[in-house]
Amino acid sequence: MDTACIAGLDVGSAFVKSVIMQGGEILSYSISPAGGHFGRSADKVLSEALEKAQRSISDLKVIGAGGLGVHFVAHPYTKVTEISCQSRGTHFLLPTVRTVIEVGNQASRIIKVTEGGRVADSLASDKCAAGSGRVLQIISKVVKVNQRDMGTLSLKSRNPAKFTTGCAVFLETEAISRVAEGTPEEDIIAGLHQALGSRISGLAQRMRIEKDVAVTGGGGKDSGLVKTIERMLGVELLQPEEPLITGAIGAALIAAERAGIQLS
Amino acid sequence: MILAGLDIGSTITKVVIKNAKGVCASVKQPTDAAHRRLANKVMEEALAQAGLSFDQVDFVVATGYGRINVPFADAQVTEITCHMRGINWLFPNVRTIIDIGGQDTKAIKLKDGKLVNFAMNDKCAAGTGRFLEVISDVLGVRLEDIGDLSLRSTQPAEISSICTVFAEQEALLRLSEGYSVEDILAGIHKANASRIYSMVRKVEIEPDLAITGGGAKNAGLCKALEERIGFPVVIPPEPLITGALGAAIIAEEKALRLSEEELKEKHGRRRLEAVTFYDADASIGQNV
Repeated sequence: MDTACIAGLDVGSAFVKSVIMQGGEILSYSISPAGGHFGRSADKVLSEALEKAQRSISDLKVIGAGGLGVHFVAHPYTKVTEISCQSRGTHFLLPTVRTVIEVGNQASRIIKVTEGGRVADSLASDKCAAGSGRVLQIISKVVKVNQRDMGTLSLKSRNPAKFTTGCAVFLETEAISRVAEGTPEEDIIAGLHQALGSRISGLAQRMRIEKDVAVTGGGGKDSGLVKTIERMLGVELLQPEEPLITGAIGAALIAAERAGIQLS
Repeated sequence: MILAGLDIGSTITKVVIKNAKGVCASVKQPTDAAHRRLANKVMEEALAQAGLSFDQVDFVVATGYGRINVPFADAQVTEITCHMRGINWLFPNVRTIIDIGGQDTKAIKLKDGKLVNFAMNDKCAAGTGRFLEVISDVLGVRLEDIGDLSLRSTQPAEISSICTVFAEQEALLRLSEGYSVEDILAGIHKANASRIYSMVRKVEIEPDLAITGGGAKNAGLCKALEERIGFPVVIPPEPLITGALGAAIIAEEKALRLSEEELKEKHGRRRLEAVTFYDADASIGQNV
């Protein structure tokens, strides 16, 4: 008998992600900007992932879902918290990880993970955008550099610009002033990576991080930020191949477990 | 005696011209990147309004975050002192002032016209005019309209974020849930008022309480603050100029302490500076 096919959805504030899994393996995934339409984007990524996996919605035994816009998911789903999703999904990809640093659009989180992939403890910076991945989006807009290219540029900086404020709104204003003064874009990007990096490492230090440490979420795709955090914390950060889908993987796995579905 | 007060704020530059009887003229303009030239322009406009020439001005006090950039000022005074003096002159019974500016919000506590305590929010955009600017932008309404719009709300939307960036996102989410712009704005004003209130509480609120700065022109925000504070607030007829007014009042005091010769000497020096200062680019060339 075939093993069950399961799906995970992570309806985040910036990106909606979906994965299709079967027999303890990832068959496919799809990522799309949320664009303010959570329901529509969730539908889109699920159909896309199903198509890539050559499965149909009726093949799915269970859908696990989490994230800010989870209520907009039109299909029946098992609701899972974002923290458990991150913990389980990262553990699935990188079993040696004991600390996950998730840099999301809405919040940065430090999650301590048990050997079995469960949440041991967590701490989030979700009251203020200055500690979240949102800063990356703001910088990208100000310096007019694609978010994909910011990491490489940042690593070239020899003289990172200093930023005096802790507020994302005022960081933006300061960055605009630096642009007007002619500060090279790599120095502005590197300076903002430092501002964000010090917020995140400060949070991590409050948790007494344990190795191995992984970085997930959109921030995990920015090599400039990752290197900054590595330097500040003095640890190497493991990066999943696709750092955006750990939450969706976790959602699928937890939903299957709750439904008593054997994965392999 | 003719006195001038300039308040160069982060967002708006204000000038008040005053004589012994009261205010003769007041002008406000958006703060330009080149504060220097703008300060001069706004000053000239105010003088024209009062029918005066710059030579007739006895003393100029500059305040606000751009105060050091006014070469023709005779003295610089912090905006906290200026707001306090301006309000004290307008409303002698006021004990607490909330000044809601473009980039910072201050709470000032005074007793017998003297500063007792103050608290300030300048590290975070929440609770400042900037918060309202960002929100009005995202909702596609003009900043000057959001106060009145929010007063039409019957059921304020829940806005739980303190952070401006997250509140912006929450406002969009409420919009997608079908809330009206009025209801979202009412929720936004409530959130901003509670942020301001928690800062103001640090100086121990005491009546009368006055609201000044750009935020005082927002009727929705003032109502939300009033509800939070629990007693009616006082709002000056022109809440933007209290800092400049205070500066002019301080200018008067300072001028009265000087002898006629000292004042005359100041006039001479100041005029020269003002000439150099007017059209800075052209005069640099001429001087060389």
